[in-house]
Amino acid sequence: MTDVRTQPAANDAAALSVDLDCSGLLCPLPVYKAALVLNQLSDGDQLRLVTTDPGALRDIPAMTRQRGDTLISVEEAEGRQVFQIEKGISR
Amino acid sequence: MTTSFQVKTLRTDSALRRFEDIRAMLPDVDNPSPIVRLNRVVPASRYKTYLKLEWLNPFGSLKDRTAAYLLAGLIERGELEGREIVEASSGNTAIALAALAGLAGSRLTTTIPDGVPEEKKVILRMLGAEVWETPDDLCPVDHPKDGAIALARSLAASENGERFVGTEQYENVDNVKAHYETTGPEIWAQTEGRVRWFYAGYGTTGTLTGVGRFLKERDPSIQIVGVEPEPGHRLPGLKSFKEARVPALLDESVIDRTVVVGDSDAYRVTKDLWRQEALMVGPSTGAVVSAISQTTDIDPDDVIVAISADSGMKYTSYFEEILGDDGRPSL
Repeated sequence: MTDVRTQPAANDAAALSVDLDCSGLLCPLPVYKAALVLNQLSDGDQLRLVTTDPGALRDIPAMTRQRGDTLISVEEAEGRQVFQIEKGISR
Repeated sequence: MTTSFQVKTLRTDSALRRFEDIRAMLPDVDNPSPIVRLNRVVPASRYKTYLKLEWLNPFGSLKDRTAAYLLAGLIERGELEGREIVEASSGNTAIALAALAGLAGSRLTTTIPDGVPEEKKVILRMLGAEVWETPDDLCPVDHPKDGAIALARSLAASENGERFVGTEQYENVDNVKAHYETTGPEIWAQTEGRVRWFYAGYGTTGTLTGVGRFLKERDPSIQIVGVEPEPGHRLPGLKSFKEARVPALLDESVIDRTVVVGDSDAYRVTKDLWRQEALMVGPSTGAVVSAISQTTDIDPDDVIVAISADSGMKYTSYFEEILGDDGRPSL
């Protein structure tokens, strides 16, 4: 089951930060779900995406390039990948 | 007062077109889909061309056969028990699977390319399916132009495979078996063994492989022709192998040639079929008939059978675009 949580972004009171946990889902399911969430966000809002499929390390950067979003950071630890994505071109 | 009258249960009798369950209407050699001669779009004086009208199957397309065999395979192998079905489809397989899954007490989730007409998506939701619209370029790294297939596989594999079972029409040999055991024998019987050419579009390739194998076993000189759209096409159900992977089901040894057809020719011929033959076909039928017109070495007495995979009723939004002001009163 995918877990989605929304809260104000720490660095911008007007922007939203959404957490999407796609642990256990195989690519391209995380890509699909991340795109669904990003479609609901406004430019400047951020998505923190957690995945466990190593394929996401190629698919998520490709998705953000294709969509014109900004991949702010990628962290890998203990079989998990954490992507911080900002919708649109980062200000 | 009592009577000795007993209500007798009527049994399916396909000769009377009386069926006690919609599934009894599924086509086979004893209950074949009709073949109808073309007389004008491909002139009757030139060839004996027959369209096999698969849209008269109970769920509206050629894929009724595929779906029935895919589902039967799942049930026979005990793979359906307690699970939902997931399948990538441009709509027709999903529609038949959604209908049959409901009858089997299951449910369909389908990943569907986002260019598929709205009519099909609404039909699927009416049948109780969950519809995941999927861009074909969802996975530009690993699966260019096959995003819906990749997504269906990931759904089937996620959650430890406990929620979904995939029917995998692009790889499942039951797809080929459906056409080897039904479509091929029907064509052979309906033409009294005189078929010389068989035309069908490249999609999952189950039809071309299954019918091709059956007919080649009867007569290896029968010509099997695959019809391929151009890259970037708008012909649902067909695949261009310049942009999509060749399905594992394709047996190239039974294919004699490939004819590439552009969208404009396919839609022009589709309109001709509606207006000149009163055949209300879908756009892939226009592509297949256009390919016949492009073949120059057919003998005048040859019997041709071409697949009309579905009707145009699910594509009216596409037709609206190509018609423009055609059929509106002029001022």
